[in-house]
Amino acid sequence: MELFDNLLLGLSTALQFNNLLYCLIGVVIGTAIGVLPGIGPIPTIALLLPFTFGLEPASSLIMLAGIFYGAQYGGSTTAILVNVPGETSSVVTCLDGHEMAKQGRAGPALAIAAISSFFAGTVATIIIAVLSLPLADLAMRFTAVEYFSLLVLGLIAAVVLAHGSVMKSLAMVFLGLLLGVIGIDVNSGAARMTFGVPSLADGLDFVPVAMGMFGLAEIIANLERPSVQRVVSQKLHDLIPSRADLKAAFPAMVRGTFLGSALGVLPGGGAALPPFSSYALEKKLAKDPSRFGKGAIEGVAGPEAANNAGAQTSFIPLLTLGIPANALMALMIGALMMQGIQPGPQVMTEQPELVWGVIASMWTGNLMLLVINLPLVGLWVSMLKIPYRLLFPAIVLFCCIGTYGISNSAFNVWLMLGCAVLGYFFIKVGVEPAPLLLGLVLGPQLEENFRRAMQLSDGDPSVFLTRPISAVLLGVVALMLIAMLSPAVLRKRKEALAE
Amino acid sequence: MTNLRLGGPDLGFGAFLVLVAAGTFAATWNLPIGTAAEMGPGYFPWAIALILLAFGLFFTVKGLTRSHAGIEPMQWRPITLIGIAVALFALVVEGLGLGLASLATIIVAAWASRESRFFEVIVFALFMSAAAILLFIKVLALPVPLWPW
Repeated sequence: MELFDNLLLGLSTALQFNNLLYCLIGVVIGTAIGVLPGIGPIPTIALLLPFTFGLEPASSLIMLAGIFYGAQYGGSTTAILVNVPGETSSVVTCLDGHEMAKQGRAGPALAIAAISSFFAGTVATIIIAVLSLPLADLAMRFTAVEYFSLLVLGLIAAVVLAHGSVMKSLAMVFLGLLLGVIGIDVNSGAARMTFGVPSLADGLDFVPVAMGMFGLAEIIANLERPSVQRVVSQKLHDLIPSRADLKAAFPAMVRGTFLGSALGVLPGGGAALPPFSSYALEKKLAKDPSRFGKGAIEGVAGPEAANNAGAQTSFIPLLTLGIPANALMALMIGALMMQGIQPGPQVMTEQPELVWGVIASMWTGNLMLLVINLPLVGLWVSMLKIPYRLLFPAIVLFCCIGTYGISNSAFNVWLMLGCAVLGYFFIKVGVEPAPLLLGLVLGPQLEENFRRAMQLSDGDPSVFLTRPISAVLLGVVALMLIAMLSPAVLRKRKEALAE
Repeated sequence: MTNLRLGGPDLGFGAFLVLVAAGTFAATWNLPIGTAAEMGPGYFPWAIALILLAFGLFFTVKGLTRSHAGIEPMQWRPITLIGIAVALFALVVEGLGLGLASLATIIVAAWASRESRFFEVIVFALFMSAAAILLFIKVLALPVPLWPW
């Protein structure tokens, strides 16, 4: 069985001592930032990117991936204990999880959340392993035409399935594509929109852009809101859930895992969509829906499983096709490129120990999370006592040092400052910055494939519709855009994404 | 809703996109565009700028014709002080070293919040600078000067 060979190869990579260590570092950092509401995985990963340069590619990706799914774990801990969702993905867990905590059942709620996450993580790891091979095989047959259509599908789907107005997000994608143009054109050698700045010749680095728009702009906006006092007053008694709890939670856990896995593969479905959909599903299936919102254990198990499964399967398009499903995966692409690896289907065959090592590390990482989260829950919660007035200057400083560290240039720090102001403007006019980051990362690929496709077809754009795979991909794009215009779908989407 | 007519979110975003499109045209006017089969370096930027212009006009018209809740009033303190803190870091780090740059950044940034307390900030800034030096220079070996001398 090729699958088992691959998984074994992956496990032997993931179980190397240094990779276990980086995995542990990743999940610990991830849990910490998941607990702290002021900072999310995107600026954290952006911040650590420059320092992964000296690591092996596998170690670097293992650590960064650990931060991502570790943050999902940490976010649910604070959601249950203090009703503060550390990450957007754990907003749903607040509903029933915190209600359970109020009834004195914080222990079982935490345990169920952790067990569901672990179960989902394990299943999702297997799903990734099974799906990766056929997808990568398919992608190997792609030419520039199919690649262009696939990139378009990825960008459009990310916009349609994510938060916020579709029109505004589309505009942001194009803005990102435009920023991606900056630099020396690889084909003609002409400097495009560099404004005579030598640092721009290699193109706009996306780390300062991400840190400015997601890290600093968010801080500025947070400081404008009145501060909230968080009270941590939960005593934890027994962590072990009763047999009845487990019995009630198990079906929800399984359903959440598969729902989350399916949604996670879709571009844009990364973090927020799976838990919301799972909660809605559990509520619909329940014999007595009125229990939801009053401490129903299914309302914790389902969304938590969906959340983790989705976080992990969102790696599938990245690992097999080289296409990021969301802004976070775009950063992962950046991590690969810093290592000199061009993301795409060839990575699977050329660097099998990298791909399978990362996949297997998700399982070891989930096991570590289970161990460090449950017994140490008190420690994580005490991190919430760090006041924001101390937290944010530290984040500002780390953003500055991290950005400077990418290429030891003060120019990147100025660029980050510019992006922070821009990001603040976007928050003020109510636009999501994530599509811009996707556009920025995918822009050069999109242009190159478009140019090649048009060269092949002698400038005839109908080539995108006459090739079957490309036509199907673009057909899906058209369907999605048409569906967005229908008022019924629009209303459903609003309900599904409403927080 | 006092500022119903002046500067709604859609109008602001639309005007911004129109400006970006205009700026792109201005910055790339001398790049050859080429044909669809043989694209010049100007082809892609121009295509995107045209699309952005369309989006910009759409949002501008929408912002002008529909009523809206207006933009939340802006507070100057956080954005100015965070901005100065970052700018200070960029100006100082190469000349005066990471130690002083970290101190300055933390102290100025902390000022952005009304809740910061003077002595706490000083102590915290000293602590964070030491931590930053230890982490980034000693452990991660970032090639940046430590002190001005």
